[in-house]
Amino acid sequence: MSLLAVEGLSVAYGDVLAVRDVSFAFEEGEVFVLLGANGAGKTSILRCISGMVPARGGAVTSGGRRLNGLRPHQVARAGISHVPEGRRIFPNLTVEENLAVSFIGARAHDNAAGALAAVYEFFPRLAERRRQFGGTLSGGEQQMRASGRAIMNVPKLLMLDEPSLGLSPVMSELVFERLAAIRAQNTTILLVEQNATCLELATRGVILQNGRVLLSGEREALQDSEFVRRAYLGV
Amino acid sequence: MGAYLDAALIPVGQALLSGVLVGGVYGLMSIGFSLAFGVMRIVNFAHGDLVMYGMYVGVIASTAFGVDPLYAIPLSFLLMALLGAAQYQLVFKRFVGAATLQQLLAAIGLGLVLQMIAQVVFGADARSAPSMFGGQFVLLGPLFASAAQIVAFIVAVLCTIAVEALLLGTRWGKSVRAVADDIEAAELVGLSAQTINITAFALACGLAGIAGTIMVTYYPVDPSKGLSLMPIAIIATTIGGLGSIRGSFFGGLFCGVVQQLTAMLWNSALQDVPLYVLLLVFIAYKPTGMFGFRTE
Ligand SMILES: Nc1ncnc2c1ncn2[C@@H]1O[C@H](COP(=O)(O)OP(=O)(O)OP(=O)(O)O)[C@@H](O)[C@H]1O
Ligand SMILES: [Mg+2]
Repeated sequence: MSLLAVEGLSVAYGDVLAVRDVSFAFEEGEVFVLLGANGAGKTSILRCISGMVPARGGAVTSGGRRLNGLRPHQVARAGISHVPEGRRIFPNLTVEENLAVSFIGARAHDNAAGALAAVYEFFPRLAERRRQFGGTLSGGEQQMRASGRAIMNVPKLLMLDEPSLGLSPVMSELVFERLAAIRAQNTTILLVEQNATCLELATRGVILQNGRVLLSGEREALQDSEFVRRAYLGV
Repeated sequence: MGAYLDAALIPVGQALLSGVLVGGVYGLMSIGFSLAFGVMRIVNFAHGDLVMYGMYVGVIASTAFGVDPLYAIPLSFLLMALLGAAQYQLVFKRFVGAATLQQLLAAIGLGLVLQMIAQVVFGADARSAPSMFGGQFVLLGPLFASAAQIVAFIVAVLCTIAVEALLLGTRWGKSVRAVADDIEAAELVGLSAQTINITAFALACGLAGIAGTIMVTYYPVDPSKGLSLMPIAIIATTIGGLGSIRGSFFGGLFCGVVQQLTAMLWNSALQDVPLYVLLLVFIAYKPTGMFGFRTE
């Protein structure tokens, strides 16, 4: 049974269909990429998996368990960690509190100290800023915090919505480096990106256009596709 | 010359002292109001009516059971917290996150219902419930203070400190602040916003109950009492910074001092007039900014 399976998923806002009949599935240990331009429906898919918007049609299952109809905190507690678009830090919580709330949510207080230390080891910059309020972090630091928080509880699945958005090339390289390390710890990743360079991390993925699946396949197939070459690599 | 000045300053000092003492209780009332707003963007216009019920809890403890109203504080907290949770579930849940005009009207309607019930159950007459400190006075140099007001002030300060400690130092408090910052992101880290909101709202209402019970030890209650306290809660919360616990408490002190200075310099029957004027100024100049109302 797939770690995550999306079948015939449709998402609508009022009359506007943002996602139409999208299907994909991946197994444990994969890095699966959702690639697409602005408005392709990538965020909507993640939000639907997390229960933030209802599905208009279709189903989302994880290990055979149906996720549709669960509240977002229930999906999170099922081990699916979602780092939303725009990072969404809690501005009035300190960096440490920002990280710590995920233990409260996951009811995993016993692991808190160890996992906090692990995140600080991963992102030393956060350790230096631990007493600072979240709202005062730079964009890159916020992204570290967001990813740090998401990996705190060793999720079954980590979903990241454009983690490199708004970061300098150096910073986004650092974030992807960290992602590779997270993956090496055997966390499955569902990565949303506009930038095709992220395919280097991927095992498989889909390319979305106007809410539909344009192409779906292995990394090489996606990299070699006409769409990626034209849209992203400029060849 | 110095003696004349001293003599003139004594009434001012007296008004300041009394103002701070009653203001502490206003502060406690206001932090509950502020909490509901800060966390859920709910402007609970019925908050004062829970203070009024808290006052009646003291009255009933004292007249029906012969128990000092101060001992009724835990019961008052509990009853008002339960009533608050019920209100949240029945009325306010659907308005979380957006202080709309509909939400305000719902709260005002709820307040009217609570007032009518009080009218029927307790009657329209003013009642009071002196505590064991009633009628005692403490001399502080040339100034004096009622022992009941000092006790009420101390209870109010302790409760305020406890609420701050709860919000800053506990898991629950961190969750509340996370939900206040970003309800969706809080859900995404596994916090149940509904559970957190209902407990925060219950706490806010429980605080109103405590404020009422300590207030009735020196101040009579009637069913309209809560409504007449609302301007104070609104002003205290607005000048204290919406959603700030400490700020609202100091805002309450400010209102108490303004009231008592007015009573001393002008007329005690008109002690609330400057506060109403302040409220009007806020409404005139920040009609939407004050609560971030959305009218659509
Ligand atoms: N809350 C909403 N209400 C109405 N329409 C929406 C809403 N959110 C998204 N949409 C629409 O749904 C479509 C898909 O949006 P979505 O955010 O999923 O795209 P995306 O692939 O994440 O784009 P981007 O790369 O710009 O983040 C867009 O046309 C968008 O305008
Ligand atoms: Mg998006």
